[in-house]
Formats: sequence, C-alpha cells, structure tokens
Amino acid sequence: MLARLLLLVFLAVPALAQDHDMMDHSGHNMNMNMGDSLVWRMPPMKMTMPMIAGTMDDVPIVGPMLPGYGMDLSMFAEAKPSEIFDLADGDTLHMDASLVRRTIDGQEYIMMAYGGMYPGPLIRADRGSKVIVEFTNNIEMPTTVHWHGLRLDNEFDGVPGVTQDPVLTGESFTYELKFPDTGMYWYHPHMREDVQQDLGLYGNMLVDPTEENYYGPSNREVPLVFDDILIDSSGLIPFGDSAPTHALMGRFGNVLMVNGITDYHLDVDKGEVVRFYLTNVANTRTFNLVFGGAKMKVVAGDVSKYEREQFVESVVIAPAERYIVDVYFDEEREYAITNSIQSIDHFRGVFVPETHHLGTIMVGSEKAEPDFGSQFVKALEFEDVQSDIADFRQYFDKQPDHNLRLTVEVNDLPRWIVMMMEVDTLFVPPMEWNDAMPMMNWLSSGEQVDWVLLDEDTGRKSMDINWNWKVGDVVKIRIFNDPKSFHPMNHPFHIHGQRFLVTEMDGQANPNMAWKDTQIIPVGSTVELLVDVTNPGKWMAHCHIAEHLHAGMMLSFTVDE
Amino acid sequence: MHRLLPSLLVVLTLSGWSSLETRSASDSPTCLIPVSGPEYYEIDLVGTRKVRGARMAKGIGEVTYASSPFGVAISATGTYVVSLNLSMENVTLDDGSSLVAWVTTPQLDQIKPLGRFSEELRVDGQTDWNKFLLVVTLEPASGDLGDIWSGPIVARGMSRSGLMHTMAGHGPFETEPCAVYGY
Repeated sequence: MLARLLLLVFLAVPALAQDHDMMDHSGHNMNMNMGDSLVWRMPPMKMTMPMIAGTMDDVPIVGPMLPGYGMDLSMFAEAKPSEIFDLADGDTLHMDASLVRRTIDGQEYIMMAYGGMYPGPLIRADRGSKVIVEFTNNIEMPTTVHWHGLRLDNEFDGVPGVTQDPVLTGESFTYELKFPDTGMYWYHPHMREDVQQDLGLYGNMLVDPTEENYYGPSNREVPLVFDDILIDSSGLIPFGDSAPTHALMGRFGNVLMVNGITDYHLDVDKGEVVRFYLTNVANTRTFNLVFGGAKMKVVAGDVSKYEREQFVESVVIAPAERYIVDVYFDEEREYAITNSIQSIDHFRGVFVPETHHLGTIMVGSEKAEPDFGSQFVKALEFEDVQSDIADFRQYFDKQPDHNLRLTVEVNDLPRWIVMMMEVDTLFVPPMEWNDAMPMMNWLSSGEQVDWVLLDEDTGRKSMDINWNWKVGDVVKIRIFNDPKSFHPMNHPFHIHGQRFLVTEMDGQANPNMAWKDTQIIPVGSTVELLVDVTNPGKWMAHCHIAEHLHAGMMLSFTVDE
Repeated sequence: MHRLLPSLLVVLTLSGWSSLETRSASDSPTCLIPVSGPEYYEIDLVGTRKVRGARMAKGIGEVTYASSPFGVAISATGTYVVSLNLSMENVTLDDGSSLVAWVTTPQLDQIKPLGRFSEELRVDGQTDWNKFLLVVTLEPASGDLGDIWSGPIVARGMSRSGLMHTMAGHGPFETEPCAVYGY
C-alpha cells in the first residue's frame, strides 16, 4: 500500500511546475527540466542576490518528494481552524494525521493536519491530569507523535526506534499523556519533521493551573502559533526524499503564518490585557516578535513561569520554544504583529532591517471590563517559582557533568559551496534570522551534512553518546557552539522528558530563570543547563531545527530509577 | 566569472584544498569549552602608539549579551543588544587626565560616550548597533564628556560584524562590478 502510494507521488503525477513564475528568478538562469514528473526547481530567493556562473543547474543530490503531489485536490477535505478540546482527567481523544486541503493566500495545497485542523486540536487539561490520545496515521508516511515538553512516561514520548516503533500508514498507537507542569506545550511528529511538521502536523496542549491566581489577571487568552512555509507560484517547493534538503541552515519558509494563516486578525477592547501563548513551530526560523509597540511583559517560558515578570519590547522565540506574554492594548488603534529582524546580505556584507507583517490587532473604542491596567504595570514576583528554584541553587556552581561542543562535518558538497563557505568566514552572526544563502542551503542535504554533538569528555559524537543518570540527579551540561566550525549556526537545544534551568550564559549568571525544555544556543556562546532529572527511561536531546535533527544532531541519555 | 572559477579552483587545490570534501570535527584541534565569552566576538583594542604614557597601550572589549529572558538580547528592531566590558593595560595617566571609551558607527555619524575608565582601567557600557567601533581617548579627568571626543585616540577596535564586507569585486565575485552594488 505504502509503496503504491509513493509510486503515485514520484511517478504518476502531472506537471505542476509548468507555470513556474520565472519573474521570481529574473536574472537567474533556471535551466532545469520541467517535465511531467516532480522535478527540482530553484527555491525562491531575492533577485538582488547574484549567483556564481555555472551553478544554476545544480540540484540537490536527493530526489524531490511532495506528499500528495499530483493528486486531485478535491479528494481531500478542507482543513478547518483549530478547535479547543477541554479534556478531564481520564478522557480520551481520538485524533488522526491525514492529508488535507489547505488554502494559503488564496492558493490551495495538499498538506497534512492532525484531526483535520490547522493547527491541530488544542488539548486543554488541568495540571496533574492524565488523558488518552488514540492516534491513527492516515498519511502516506510512517510517523509518531512527540508530546513536546511533557514530563510523561517514557513509552509515550514518541521517538521511533527508542520508545516505540513507527506508526505505519493505517495503523494506530495509544498515547497516555500526563501533565505535571502548568503551561503551554505542543505536539508534532518525530519522523521527518522537516516534511510532516512543515506541512501542518503540529498542535498545542494548554495545561491550566490548579491554583487560584497562578498568573496575574488578564481579559482573555489567545494561543498564537508561528510558522513559515516555502512556496513559489507553482506550489510547495519539494522536500528531499531520502534525506532533507536545506541541511546547512534548515528550511526557511518565505510565507509566514500565524495559526496557519497569513492574515491573522484579532479585535480587542481598549485597555485589554491579552495573555498570548506563543509557540514557534517553524523548521528553523527564529522570530523576533513585536506587538506594535504595545506594553508587554513575559510571564512564563516553556515549562514554568519566570521568577518574576519582565517587561520586554520583543519576544525572541526559537523553534519549539514557547512563551507566555501579557500585552496591554491601551490605545484605540491598530497594532501590527511583526517579525522584526536584521537579516544579513552576505554578498554586500551588510545588515538589512526587515519587518515581516504577521497579523493585526485592532483596538476598538469600547473600554475593557474589568480594567486590569493598574495591575498590568506591576511586574509580579512569583514566589512559588523562586522557592522551587531555590532548592537547585546549591548546584549552580558545580562543575559541568558533561561538556558538549556543537559543530558540523560535511562531505561531497559541491566544491563551489565549500569554497564560498570557506571564503565567507570574516563574520559569523550569533543568530541566523533568514536564509542568507538560499541556493547553497537548498543544495545541502542530510546525506552530505552531519551536524554533530561532540562530547568533549569522551570524544563520542551524537548518537554514540548515551549518558547515564539516575532519578534525583541534578546534572549540569555546558554547551559551546563552536564559531569556527565549517558552518556555525544557532541551535535550539531540546531535552526530552526532563526540565532544566539556564543558569549561565557566556559566564553571566541568569538573574531571572524559568524552567525550560528548549534553549537557543547562539554561535560562539557557552550556555550552562542544569537538568532536574526526574523521569526514568531512555530519552533524546537534540537540536530542534528539523533538518539538523535529521542530519544527526541528537544524542541519547538513560535515566535509571 | 567563467574564466575566474577554474583558475580559482586550481589555486585552491594547489593550496591544499583538495581534501575539502570531508571536514571532521574530530580532526580539529582539541577545543576546551570556554567558561566565559564569547571570545569570537571579542574586540581587540589596538593602540595608536601616539599618546605619551600610552604608547604600548592595548586592551580588550568583551562582548556579551545584555540581560534578557530569552538568553540572546535583541532589540525591537532586531539588532543585538550587547554589554561591552572594556579593559586597557600599559597606560600611565598624568594627573588630570583620564581614559574615556566611546562607541561609534563605522561611518562615525553617530557617537556615544560609554564613560571614563576606572582606576583599574575598566569601563562597561552597552550598544545595539549592528557594526560599531570602540574608541578609547585621553580626556580631562573631570567635566562633561560632550558628544564627541576632544583628546587624542589611545586605542580603537572594530566589532566582529564590522569585518563583514561586500564580496563584489572580491573572490568568486571578483568580476561583479562594484559600482552596481553601490561601492
């Protein structure tokens, strides 16, 4: 069955690429075969970027793949916006992953969805509860579901080959979720995330507090899921079949979305305090989110509140991270949600300010009731978090138990790419906010690039690493992102099944901590994580850039009872 | 460009680049993980050798992120917000004079004082400019610093980002006309 479906995808498909918008590439020679089958075409890029002669016909060494390619769009149900599922302790949710029809900016695409929704169903439950998810795989690829950030039982963590077998097409798996920590979490596949997650397989889990007044007051709560997708006028740019493309920098999308749409809009009353639950589900893009100059304070990170609320002008959110922010809309006007970055034009050697419009919040003349304005301006101290963290301060100065260096190895990349990378070494930015080298990035596949977690203490690399810890251990990991590797890049480092504190960055103590499960490691930086080891089993830790994960950037660790 | 690429390949191959296909992390020299940093973005403060009492002056500008709940500090316009910790050595000051640190853009169109160095020849500050220069000057020990230095420059250094420059007219893009790109 699977083989037949794949055959359909790769061979028996009509041409979708024939009306490719060459205006996207004016000045570029796109001398590629646009025949009747799925073929590579150059990804969209800024036309101000010159190209090296003789390189324009290069294509990735892996074949192109696009789930549902060539199938009749009308075969698929139109996906619908996410719905909230309030689940009580012991409830069961039946959820599948399937191919769906999605409309983005007026164009229809065959994509994927959990429960036929974009994002997937928002599972809402109380802290301390347990729920069952009966999951069925109705996509044409094997998959699993990883429940990101939950300290759940190991067998339900959704890692193929480690905690479960892949869920094949037509098969089911029963996940038991438990929610020991208040906050916003998310779920996504842990097989070919670069494809499945990018095509829409993601959803949130909102864990409500059981305590009164756990957070400060707000007028409403709004989940916002940030994503991007790589599209040209012919449709989705194909993915790699045997391995991901874009292995160097990850697959940046050129169309940015909030909650799966490009024109997000919210109407609020004047003086409203809106609590936004932010999740970044993009393959590789880190966002710098600005809410039109509205006053904003960050309340919580991945797995807990901060020790104290902190006023901020923007929110830096890497793939897989979550933040809870309270935003105060005190003026009757339009507030734009934007991604405000300084991209880099390597050819010109300059920073380029870019502001990507993501959505609009319209504040009306009606006054919000109740008025929480006077309470908003105070930054709350969270004594419960401070007390929790206080138990771990005795470990802040301990020597690291593990020292990791983040680096990369490459083989068989086109020589001109290697040359260009070697030539352009004068400045490596701490963060990559955009695809500054779209052609080189696209051409690099997971078969040519090995992203490496190097254990400095043992010399072991990536999946040859299997740390052994015990429940009750407090483990310090010092991570150094080597700026002198072949291609340094920021990495959002995720640890499964446990929680950690970021105690120190570049020798600077962290003055305001929250429990996390994912943390940005900028280029050149040294970051110390203190892991609260509570959950037995065999777990993973990895970079959450989907293409880096599939290019090897993961390790395992075992926690014994 | 067509003519350039083969000759560049020859030069690179002869220079030992023929083994570039495989780069191994384990082949790299052992690199102890730093406990502070990031050293990569440190700024060397290079003396001008022109100021009496500071002819052998040199220093370092340490660059770390300003405090941020997100780990990396970014402004609302997307620029990095960094703390600057400057230290100088080999400086003997006359009574009535002091070292002052300034931060300026590469075009010198914006200048901000970071402050006077302490007796230990250290001073801290912050900036959110993409590319910047650190300038250390000799100034009167008291009084308003003003908007721009008045004394001689003792040392200066450029942010790592300042090293990034156009490829037009260089390397593989040597034949690209610089003027087209505004250079």
